[in-house]
Amino acid sequence: MLWARRKRPDAYEPRDTLTSLAFGLGSTLAGGLFGAAVLAMAFWLYQWRLFDFGPQWWAVWWAWPLCFVLDDLAYYWFHRFAHRVRWFWAAHVNHHSSQHYNLSTALRQSWTSFFALAFLFRIPIVLLGFHPLMGLFVGAINLIYQFWIHTEAIGRMPRWFEAVMNTPSHHRVHHATNPLYLDRNYAGTFIVWDRMFGTFQREQDSERIRYGIIRQLGSFNLLWAVFHEWAAMGQDFWRAPWRHKTSYLWRPPGWSHDGSRETSDMIRARWLEREKMKQGASLAAQDERSAGEENPA
Amino acid sequence: MLAWLAYRWNLGGDIRIRDEAHARELADDTICGFEAIDVALDRGRIGALLRSPNGQVMLIRRHGAKFAGRLLDGHIHTRLDRTQLTLATSEKHFGQITLDLGEAAQHWAASLRRIGG
Repeated sequence: MLWARRKRPDAYEPRDTLTSLAFGLGSTLAGGLFGAAVLAMAFWLYQWRLFDFGPQWWAVWWAWPLCFVLDDLAYYWFHRFAHRVRWFWAAHVNHHSSQHYNLSTALRQSWTSFFALAFLFRIPIVLLGFHPLMGLFVGAINLIYQFWIHTEAIGRMPRWFEAVMNTPSHHRVHHATNPLYLDRNYAGTFIVWDRMFGTFQREQDSERIRYGIIRQLGSFNLLWAVFHEWAAMGQDFWRAPWRHKTSYLWRPPGWSHDGSRETSDMIRARWLEREKMKQGASLAAQDERSAGEENPA
Repeated sequence: MLAWLAYRWNLGGDIRIRDEAHARELADDTICGFEAIDVALDRGRIGALLRSPNGQVMLIRRHGAKFAGRLLDGHIHTRLDRTQLTLATSEKHFGQITLDLGEAAQHWAASLRRIGG
């Protein structure tokens, strides 16, 4: 905020910050409440683990970094599904509901991720044999890592760091609504997953970033920000013809049975088409100009 | 405390729509590819109405230090008071806004009534 005061006063907005803080408080309470249930379930599942690190699992030093990397991979897939399946998106959209991108935005964590079954993505780690407490610890470190990258105050990190780690630059792309940036950079800590699975997009200096969601809320109402997508999904489910009802739950956000709305893929495709046409027109104009210069009337 | 600091330091500022080009840019941000043939700016520059070639009308309005927009549909509620046009979309949480459009207010009110059926 000190940086914003001196250089970018528009980077923070009082009501937006207040909503973000309230989001953080609510998600902490929800996390405490439902986190205990998830941990209890993890302990129960742990009895069917594939590998056993023994009773002194905490003393196996290499299990910690390995668990961190695998948990980050699991996070990548959770995050990708959270953007590509509306059921998960209804919970995750909370994190993208601000039109600002600052450290307070990072506090906008979901209140309903338990209800959305987000914990399913953590089960494989436990079934592999990593102790639930180890999973909890590395998950917490991952979440803490992601806090500092929610800023416009940092431009680019050193090249080697940008190549491996998730950074403010990479995550700005993730929070952007620009067609070029939609549904890109799902990484938690390591950006390498996006590079591996084809979802990486570099931040372009020429592209002015707009943050938030495609259909901006236009409201600072906390409860509306938390539950709006669940409400919209419920309405779509209710109104849809029977054979399309479940599609509104598992297809990408923006999908509609009558084609009246657009998914992020459709928006990007349309934008790319437009960019191509613009480029074509500018090349044609250039050709015309050079032809005129060569053959003056 | 942090929100209070943001308020005390006047963060966010007083953002306005600069001109028609800015309004068009905001409309394109709202719906990629939205091209306006007609633009009406509020006198205080806190909102704008834009019409596309196929008759769609978009409302852009200030939201904190940013802008948010909506395509207006048949469920819009309008009220005209001389040069001031009050608009409320079907979304309760998007709120209502009163735009001072000068002489253009009547013309826009009429066209919005047509959308409303």
